Amino acid sequence: MAEKGPVLRAEGLSKQYGARQVLRGVSLSVNEGDLKVLIGPSGAGKSTLLQCINFLVLPDKGQVFLDGREILHTRRKELCAYRQKVGMIFQDFNLFDHLTALGNVEIGLTRVRSMKKGAARERAVMELERVGLGEHAGKYPAQLSGGQKQRVSIARALAMDPKVMLLDEPTSALDPELITEVLSVIRNLVSEGMTMIIATHQIGFAGDLANEIIFMEDGAIVEQGPPAKILTRADCERTREFCSKITSPYGESR
Amino acid sequence: MTANLLAVLDALPYLLQGGLVTIGLVVGAMGLGLVLGVPFAVGQVYGLPWVRRVIGFYVWFFRGVPLLVLLFLFYFGLFSLMNINLSAFAAALIVLGLISAAYQSQIFRGAILSLPEGQFKAAKALGMSDTRAILFVVLPQALRLSLPGWSNEYSIVLKDSAVAYALGVAEVMARSHFVASRTYYHMPLYFTAGLIFLCLTYFGTRGLRMLEEKVKIHGYSR
Repeated sequence: MAEKGPVLRAEGLSKQYGARQVLRGVSLSVNEGDLKVLIGPSGAGKSTLLQCINFLVLPDKGQVFLDGREILHTRRKELCAYRQKVGMIFQDFNLFDHLTALGNVEIGLTRVRSMKKGAARERAVMELERVGLGEHAGKYPAQLSGGQKQRVSIARALAMDPKVMLLDEPTSALDPELITEVLSVIRNLVSEGMTMIIATHQIGFAGDLANEIIFMEDGAIVEQGPPAKILTRADCERTREFCSKITSPYGESR
Repeated sequence: MTANLLAVLDALPYLLQGGLVTIGLVVGAMGLGLVLGVPFAVGQVYGLPWVRRVIGFYVWFFRGVPLLVLLFLFYFGLFSLMNINLSAFAAALIVLGLISAAYQSQIFRGAILSLPEGQFKAAKALGMSDTRAILFVVLPQALRLSLPGWSNEYSIVLKDSAVAYALGVAEVMARSHFVASRTYYHMPLYFTAGLIFLCLTYFGTRGLRMLEEKVKIHGYSR
């Protein structure tokens, strides 16, 4: 694949928990600088899909390719190297509670990329400033608001120089007022050309910025396409129904 | 009354030397228990099924057999069978340590399990190997959370160490008994022995409490 193919490609990912088929052979690909948005009801498999992409959940079937190269997740070194290039943001932040904001951003640099202390610190400070948290560097997670925590976790991922970022409902655990600050950080990433896949219910945000919206239900992709199409005139009845519900959640029409 | 006091004062230096032996036993046993207990806990949480089974068996055995039986089993039985020539002190230290390892492993295991699972995931998502994630993310937090339970374990090992008397280790209890059976001042001497143990418990748990305060994670109200 000498041509500029997709940065990240997943092929036929399937996952079963007991009798429940959570993913049914889902494929998707992202080109450089793309923002793909996953939408769909809870339990649709969005989160499992994202976690299968970086093998935090091992898929039963399917392959993942980064820059056209298949990732062999059974080779530990290869898996760790791959995960460094794929930043992951979780719904509930998952900051390391025993470390300050700075420590959280530094640890990947010192303990994974074996950077020197001084250089790691410099880089970590820069990343915290990038998400607007320069003056909170010395605070512990328990001393930060939800929005600040999520921004630290974004800085932590950015410090690893990821090629792609996967964001699993990054604003779902936040108070309404705090959502904006996290979305604006993500917006900046989009304008800097970061390649991202994001699962979210922030439909306005998705409509503004996504190159493509992917509607998932019951472990499969129902429909995908540009936001204008998916949000207003989707082909599939189920997609239209879901989109109308999340665009006007209280039943009033817009 | 004065006779009692004099008897105690006479024996005190001798008993306090026994206190040093007791401290040696306890520090050694707690140390051995820590060195074994941490990997056991990690193995029991993250290990392969057979690893978990082996550790489970170890814990079951050392928690299930009485201390005195284990002391005799190892000192008179196992060690001499294997031609290992150990002093009574060393044998008692090892047995107390092996037992404490079983209990400590469960303290650490509980602490590891109480951590939010997402942090381990986040560490792996950064590209950390499991080993590094355990070393740099899981254990620093789990060990902090273990301190209250560890302090409890200290006071138990401290009191258990008195049973080493049965092997002839010259710790506080053995010395008190030795003096009491010669002077017949049973009451004041055993009372003093009890006091020495109480002091050791007090200072030990207080020290650990201070350590707990020192390594506390900021913003955590506990």
